[in-house]
Amino acid sequence: MKKIFLIVLYSISIIPVYSQTDSTASDSLLLLQIQNQLKIPESTNSIPSRSSISANPDISVIGDFRANYQSNYTRHFNANLNETEISFQSVVDPYVRADFFVSLSRDQETGAFDVGVEEGYLTTLSLPAHLQLKAGKFKQMLGRINFLHPHALPFIDMPNAFVRFFGEEGLNDAGLSLSWLLPNNSFFQELTVEITDGPHENPSFIRSSGNNFIGLAHLKNFWDLTNNATLEFGLTGISGPNVSNKITSIAAADLTYKWKPVKFNTYKSVTFQNEFYYSHTPYLTKSVNSIGFYSMLLMQISKRTFLTGRYDYTNKPTSNKFVEEAGSLTVGWYLTEFQKIELQVKNTSANSEEIENNYKKNFNQVFIRWIFVIGSHGAHKY
Amino acid sequence: MKNKIKIIILLISLLTSKLNGATIRVVTTTQDLKSIAELIGGDKVEVFSIATGYQNPHFVDPKPSYIIKLSNADVFVTVGLDLENGWSPQLVTSSRNPKIQKGSPGYVDASEGVSLMQIPSSLNRGEGDIHLFGNPHYWLDPLNGKQIARNICNGLEKISPLNKNFFESNLKLFNETIDRKIIEWIKVMAKYKGAKIIAYHNEWCYFENRFGFQIVDFLEPKPGIPPSPSQLVKIIGEIKSNQIKVIISSPYFTTSSSDVVAKQTGAKVLTLATSSGAFESIKNYYDLFDYNITQLVSALKQ
Repeated sequence: MKKIFLIVLYSISIIPVYSQTDSTASDSLLLLQIQNQLKIPESTNSIPSRSSISANPDISVIGDFRANYQSNYTRHFNANLNETEISFQSVVDPYVRADFFVSLSRDQETGAFDVGVEEGYLTTLSLPAHLQLKAGKFKQMLGRINFLHPHALPFIDMPNAFVRFFGEEGLNDAGLSLSWLLPNNSFFQELTVEITDGPHENPSFIRSSGNNFIGLAHLKNFWDLTNNATLEFGLTGISGPNVSNKITSIAAADLTYKWKPVKFNTYKSVTFQNEFYYSHTPYLTKSVNSIGFYSMLLMQISKRTFLTGRYDYTNKPTSNKFVEEAGSLTVGWYLTEFQKIELQVKNTSANSEEIENNYKKNFNQVFIRWIFVIGSHGAHKY
Repeated sequence: MKNKIKIIILLISLLTSKLNGATIRVVTTTQDLKSIAELIGGDKVEVFSIATGYQNPHFVDPKPSYIIKLSNADVFVTVGLDLENGWSPQLVTSSRNPKIQKGSPGYVDASEGVSLMQIPSSLNRGEGDIHLFGNPHYWLDPLNGKQIARNICNGLEKISPLNKNFFESNLKLFNETIDRKIIEWIKVMAKYKGAKIIAYHNEWCYFENRFGFQIVDFLEPKPGIPPSPSQLVKIIGEIKSNQIKVIISSPYFTTSSSDVVAKQTGAKVLTLATSSGAFESIKNYYDLFDYNITQLVSALKQ
């Protein structure tokens, strides 16, 4: 009786559509339909839960706790919550998105907290001709590390050449940035032109009292060598006023090779990255031409373990007689996507001392950093 | 005035004829979406997938070269549900392409209308990598493939309304093929209904639900957290007490932990495909299930 009922049911509902199928398949189809009726997936719901719908931007907080040892200071050991970064990121409307990064940092010696907008900018989403405009305060498109936040770097201190030429914070200024995706289908090329107000504290540039602004142009070239290997070559030119109210010019080049097997990209990778800076600084009575560079090899040896070796060489923008070299090794343990612990040992040697920074000709440093993030933090550039 | 109207009509007709004849450039985040887009779009589309079939779709490197593809795309298809959150939003923003930004006609979220599983009532990262909107591996149920195909078809029709009948006809064929094949797949798997299995990562719930086997535990103690020794000991105990025959993993996970468990228990480690293109023989979305079911049945019947 049951069988007859099923056959009738099948005949009414299925035959017009599936009349070409054989009887075995038809039986199975009927079975399937009954199963589908009976087997509604557990906990199914196509409507997101109420807690997931929000008009708030993506919010995250990143902690950067550090401890360090420095052989050249009378107090050798220090510990500090170096920085707390709070980010707010969202699309504003169909035309632009906004990104804000607020930084709370504590001065290690005075203990005073400083709150500042590390970055706050709009990015257009719909300009024609493959153009994109950024307006606000942002980390500028110089080389490979300037535009990244320190927590995303595979070492704790900034390279000596970078610090000597651009300061610990790098070029991070208010203004406009226009980038253009060049119409080149064979490899990626992006030209970025920026004009900014001028930094308040920077070894190479100052905020002019006149109408001199900082101009920057960066050309990024990127090639996929194979599925697993890429090469990036970038050129940057920067021009702006210096302390003598003359114009300093800096040329920079960066070269990065990455190997990361597509299949096991979370287990192993190698990055060989280099940046070179050349500055021409005219002062009232003389001009100084200086150079600086760093070379870095980053190796991921397991899912969680990263090793970084780095060599630094630099002059100062104010003196090419000064030569400083440093070598460092960093071990990083990336527990999850949301926290990592790094240990860096570094030796620095120079050909002269600097009294104001307690700077000796040769000294050692050890840094420990623990980075942790809560909330939703956007991805970083490749 | 008449001349102006003629020129405008001529320009419109030229434009529409170009749109009608032009190939629609589609970029998808994964190979399964590519395969379905090709089956629906036929010769009217040219499809590029950012992720390969043997790659973990959570962790794709956002290479600038993908920006070139996205900048020229008419349609962008994403799995959605935060699966690609670590890489695709940045690429889409950098593409400078207004046609494929979220909310534009060329932006297709393939998860729309799919019945989702494992939607958390609260989000706590202490539970590992859980997804706010539910488990995002929904394409591993072929019936969800039909909803994906519907969404892609809708997206293509918005971009090229003149080809609507062509896309609808391909969609019908796709649905019929899935309906025909799923009968075979379910029939083959029916013998193993309730068979207990261990999986490496929590990405098989839709596949499990459709084909009736039962995943009793995962090598990862929590989603995204690598297997710990204590978890492996627990799994070995579970395999022995339940006489579990198979441990399933994915191409992008190393099998070192699975191999340790297999050696202790005699269970077989099976690397299944999570996407078209995961292995040479898996050329399209249908092959994905053909392959997985053949492999699974072969391991379970031993």
